[in-house]
Amino acid sequence: MSRVPRIAPRLLRQPWQTTQREGATAVAVLRPTTVRLYSTTPARAHAAQPSGTGSSVSASEVTHFTNLASSWWDPHGPSRLLHLMNPLRHDFIKSCLSTSADSAAVGPERAKKYAYLDIGCGGGIFASSAARLPSTSSVTAIDPTAEVIKVAKEHQRADPLLSLPGRLNYVNCAIEDLESHLKTFDFVTLFEVIEHIDRPSTFLRQALNHLKPGGWLIGSTIARHPLSYFTTKVIAEAPWPIGVVPRGTHDWDKYINPSELRDWFAKENREASERGEEDIYGAVKVEGCVCLPLVGWKFVGRSEEFGNYFFGVQKLR
Amino acid sequence: MLSRSASKSSRYICKACRSTINASRKRKFGTNSITLNPTSDDIYDVVTVGGGPVGLALLAALKTSPSTSHLKCLLVESQSLAKQKSWSLPPDAYSNRASSITPTNQSFLEAIEAWRHLDLTRVQPYDEMQVWDAGNAASIQFDWSAEAIKYNAPLRTVATMVENSNLSRGLLRRIEDVGAEESLMSGWNVKGIGNGIDDPEGCNLSTWPVLELQQIGSEGSQNTKQIATRLLIGADGINSPVRTFAGINTNGWDYGRHGVVATLQVESSSDPASPFQNSVSNDDFDSALEDFLSDDPKSSSSSSQPNFENITPSNRATAFQRFLPALGGPIAILPLPNNHASLVWSTTPQIASYLKSLSPSAFTATVNAALRLEQVDIQYLFSLPTTISEPNNTTPHESELTWRLQHTKSTLPSRSPPWITALQPNTIASFPLRLRNATSYIAPRIALAGDAAHTIHPLAGQGLNLGLGDAECLSRTIRYAVEHGMDIGDLMALQGYSGERYAAAVRVSTGVDLLNKVYQISSGDGLVGSLLGAARGLGMRAVGMVPGVREAIMRTVD
Repeated sequence: MSRVPRIAPRLLRQPWQTTQREGATAVAVLRPTTVRLYSTTPARAHAAQPSGTGSSVSASEVTHFTNLASSWWDPHGPSRLLHLMNPLRHDFIKSCLSTSADSAAVGPERAKKYAYLDIGCGGGIFASSAARLPSTSSVTAIDPTAEVIKVAKEHQRADPLLSLPGRLNYVNCAIEDLESHLKTFDFVTLFEVIEHIDRPSTFLRQALNHLKPGGWLIGSTIARHPLSYFTTKVIAEAPWPIGVVPRGTHDWDKYINPSELRDWFAKENREASERGEEDIYGAVKVEGCVCLPLVGWKFVGRSEEFGNYFFGVQKLR
Repeated sequence: MLSRSASKSSRYICKACRSTINASRKRKFGTNSITLNPTSDDIYDVVTVGGGPVGLALLAALKTSPSTSHLKCLLVESQSLAKQKSWSLPPDAYSNRASSITPTNQSFLEAIEAWRHLDLTRVQPYDEMQVWDAGNAASIQFDWSAEAIKYNAPLRTVATMVENSNLSRGLLRRIEDVGAEESLMSGWNVKGIGNGIDDPEGCNLSTWPVLELQQIGSEGSQNTKQIATRLLIGADGINSPVRTFAGINTNGWDYGRHGVVATLQVESSSDPASPFQNSVSNDDFDSALEDFLSDDPKSSSSSSQPNFENITPSNRATAFQRFLPALGGPIAILPLPNNHASLVWSTTPQIASYLKSLSPSAFTATVNAALRLEQVDIQYLFSLPTTISEPNNTTPHESELTWRLQHTKSTLPSRSPPWITALQPNTIASFPLRLRNATSYIAPRIALAGDAAHTIHPLAGQGLNLGLGDAECLSRTIRYAVEHGMDIGDLMALQGYSGERYAAAVRVSTGVDLLNKVYQISSGDGLVGSLLGAARGLGMRAVGMVPGVREAIMRTVD
């Protein structure tokens, strides 16, 4: 089932035309796109795929993030919005836990300690913050971009708590290369990652393989809506002083809507029940958030339809 | 944005930290270089320098909250905390350093379970503040009576007088209660503060403050310690070494005034449990209130209706402040239990040293004069010699006071100030009054609280209250940061504290400073002086008459 934005396309892009990502001054394009999660071909047919058909990694994305590596930890740099969003990630995780059976365990001295797998960790904004929590036993953080992993490790050195053995491990690899550690993590986190993945369906399956039964997949991404085009491409990627992220950071065609996520997990559950098994996944929990100037990120009800949102789903078995 | 040059070096330090490290390479206090590679024993999460009420309240708050109780904390104080913990005075003697604690701060102290460790027989809640001006006939009364009458509720406390030592002792008891006594390092001096080093085989602590501590009384380099900390808190007073290390400047000025403090004994009122209550008895008031509220036409025509503007029900105690513009500043009498009171008199250095040289009976006479006589009369008293005694061993001050009282027509507020009967021995002291505000309350891995951040004029009794507000906000900020996995020394984590407290401190200190300025002008006797004095009086009356303004003022310092 495909979902199209309700606005008529003004211009259909021809395959030979370059995109904004590659630096050309293309006109705004709002063409109908098929739903992202079920397509097995990359969203942009002309994207280069030098790393082979089995990889979730897009070379253009790697190049883009390599250039951003040096400024990752600058609180007033291009990653500022990620720094400001990070506390909300923890709030969302707590609210997911409170809906699951784990809600009985309260207080910092609860015996259960969590193991995290952070996919696409970048410079380690979330991974390092998760590693500091008293309720964390270990964090494994992976990213295919070597430069950002170097930056993350350098940041780790500045904190004795993060340098405790086994607490925080950065690995420069892609999810499909993480052969071991299947089904060993309480949390698999994908913050601002899935909109940079060319084949999200395969990627999700690989990520979910690493979850323990009862574990949660938690992530954040952006909905594909004309308003999110306006806010994340026109405003956020505008030149200084208006813009807040570098040009080319996002590709609107790769955004995923909450309904598409829900449908995907419902399909997995349906296939399981056709095989005579129980549901694999619980209900998908979604919370929209909005970045307001001078205020920062706030959870805003129903904003997941047109903007940034968090999603969480529990693997029941 | 993509034009920002990408550093290919693996040793990346972001621009903000780079400028900080370059500045902090020069940032030192008291030592040329500190080389330190601390073992994990010497690495702390929170080190507070300063064991006054603000530093102690912060430690107690961190150890009380379950989210932050696991943090490795240390509090360094040069004086003996054991002596403070064993402080004790008999019930008829009170320390001359007492502060007026607002209800909000009392709630904070209750929340961290420190309030119950105070000796509550030695604290005095008061329900009313009488303020009047020697330059005119205006007076204003601050209390919550409008609300009490409106809701038929007991009167709300304006503030509570607490001896600083009582508060410190209570906080130390709470810290022991919660098992955090080993976090106290008393009798140690901060010899120097520097930065850690970047160990290629270990951690990079080059942005971490490292303190060199020396035990007081030990010679040479014995008994020194070096400790590194994730967050260094300066609660170390107006000349804060931590603030100097952080390279933070202060703005402000000296008022050219001294605050004279003393503990006084006052004449007991009819009800010994309520100091200074000598105008209306509770029973009279209650029956009058009943008549007033009933719809009975007979009672409404009664002639003996009290004026509810000026009388409050069930008053426990009253604080008094009289502005003396010609004599350098206000005199305040703040109630303490058992017919005692605390004096805070802001005046010129000359008058302050004169007062300190007086004999006890001359001193009490002068204080009584300052509350009742015209300014010219009080000025005359300052010219009297301090050593001559008249027959019957009375001082010239007492005889002058007695004579001038008969001829004085100065106005008193609706509730009269108490008559001072004696001075508690060895309690007169003075300190210079200054306004200081640090240009920033935070720096990377540094936060300032209490007098290290801001010092204000005592005329509104807000100095310690601002400091306790800092402790509450900082403990809440640290708690939020820990719960969200932040590095508590990160500027992004500390920004919430700075935003909230900087605005509060500027508001209060500016308000108090402006009020002080208003009451410093027209110190002369001429036409301009009396005109400005009359203008001030109008202003004071206006504040009292416009409904809600008084309550709004009280709310800002609540």
